Amino acid sequence: MTMTKAAAAAPSGPSAQIEIGNVGKVYGTAGDGAVIALDGVSLTIARGEFVSLLGPSGCGKSTLLNILAGFQPATTGRILQDGHPITGPDPSRTVVFQDYALFGWMTVQKNVEFGLKAKGVGRAERAERARALIDTVRLTGFEDKYPHEISGGMKQRAAIARALAPDPDILLMDEPFGALDAQTRVLLQEEIARISSEAGKTVVFVTHGIEEAVFLADRVVVMSPRPGRIREEVLVPLPRPRTAEMRSDPWFVSTVSELWETLKPDWQKEEEVS
Amino acid sequence: MSSPSAALARPAATTGRPLVRLPKTRGFRAFVGLGVFFLVWQLLTTTGIVDGFMLPSPIAVAEALWQMAIDGSLWVHLGASLQRVAIGYLIACVVGIALGLLCGWWRTVSDYVRPVIEALRPIPPLAWIPITILWFGLGDAASYFLVFLGAVFPAFVATYTAVRSLDRNQMNAALCLGAKPSMLLFDVLIPASLPIVLPGLRIALGIGWMCVVTAELIAAQTGLGYLIQQSRTLFQINNVVAGMVTIGLVGLAMSAALEQVERRVNAWAPSERL
Repeated sequence: MTMTKAAAAAPSGPSAQIEIGNVGKVYGTAGDGAVIALDGVSLTIARGEFVSLLGPSGCGKSTLLNILAGFQPATTGRILQDGHPITGPDPSRTVVFQDYALFGWMTVQKNVEFGLKAKGVGRAERAERARALIDTVRLTGFEDKYPHEISGGMKQRAAIARALAPDPDILLMDEPFGALDAQTRVLLQEEIARISSEAGKTVVFVTHGIEEAVFLADRVVVMSPRPGRIREEVLVPLPRPRTAEMRSDPWFVSTVSELWETLKPDWQKEEEVS
Repeated sequence: MSSPSAALARPAATTGRPLVRLPKTRGFRAFVGLGVFFLVWQLLTTTGIVDGFMLPSPIAVAEALWQMAIDGSLWVHLGASLQRVAIGYLIACVVGIALGLLCGWWRTVSDYVRPVIEALRPIPPLAWIPITILWFGLGDAASYFLVFLGAVFPAFVATYTAVRSLDRNQMNAALCLGAKPSMLLFDVLIPASLPIVLPGLRIALGIGWMCVVTAELIAAQTGLGYLIQQSRTLFQINNVVAGMVTIGLVGLAMSAALEQVERRVNAWAPSERL
């Protein structure tokens, strides 16, 4: 099993798209009430790389994603995107949320068009581009449906199309399949594998699913809780695009089970805490 | 939906058709409900169970209404009441919505302002009448003020609740898709709030309508409340009840109209579909 230290695995130099330098996040005021969500997290993500952030709840993986998205500031350390500090949300970094966060009052079409409208793209062009994206996520025929009229898997497809619409450099996915049933999950994992290698975006994928983390990513960053820290990194040597049969690849199977063995104590501890 | 009840219903429909097939529209049922109400009322008075002096029959009331419609006094009073409620209600909406937005958006503002509002809210408009007359005298301004007092609190509570229950992720989604403040307001905040705000504004209008009549009973020289009060001093009990019936029917029409608007605007919200 290829397990390397952060320093060895981290790509750097001109290809680095995201540089996370010693980032910490503390909630609440310093003292007894303070919760350390992230502590000394450093990570460099290359352009076009697919990174999974894997860990049990409370390991700070979603916090790190929110900081990357610009939704909240880091307490300490710095985060650079192409050498510039991240100060707030920006359409070069779009987010796919676990609860979809689709706009319920808009049709699928209008949801996907949202980011294009914000960019000032004209009516006809944005309708056309949205239709193409809806086709990419295989939702053609559902353009005029409202979110409450379609299934969870379809909602997440729509949300992925919406996030791709502004043509971001970085796609941030926050446990995007957490609310879906097991079968839909597997199908959407394969869709993401296909779409991400076609689109060539940098992807940060937060999950607590070991299998999906390994299946999708070029590199799995394993985090541990209380305080949230990077514990180890796993480089995934499988070629992309990933396909369903890779799930039975011997390396894949053994890596997943070894990761499960290492993460088990953390999971058990979280079980007791919550 | 192939439930046993559906299977049972089918043979009944083929063998014996009901004599009258009632339309299933809501409007028709409302019409039937009101019709039965007036019919029972008419029967109670013609059979003498209720003394005609204590409560005139619907036919006598209709005659009184007709007379007032012909001599024009009904329209003068109705117009005066509608104008007062419109002005008072508009002011209440502007103030209530603005305060609701401020308190909903900024926790600190809410901490200061809400106790004041919650302390003023339980004071019934009737209790405000002496001080209203002291401030505004006997005129339209007094009516505006009482309508305002009645309507402003439900408008505030609805807006405040709507803003507080906005989905943080939807806001974040809009922000990371590049939404400018105007798009955030008109494409996200307002449509997301309407399912909560509109029913609140409908309730506010109902209360405002009650308040305008209250105000006119005491502090006005025109309006439906004044009509009732004046008819009472002249022992024209038919006109008193005619005034009451007008108030009721106009109130019904206002709330039905607003409900119609709500149903159209909030069609996307599954919880709103009754």
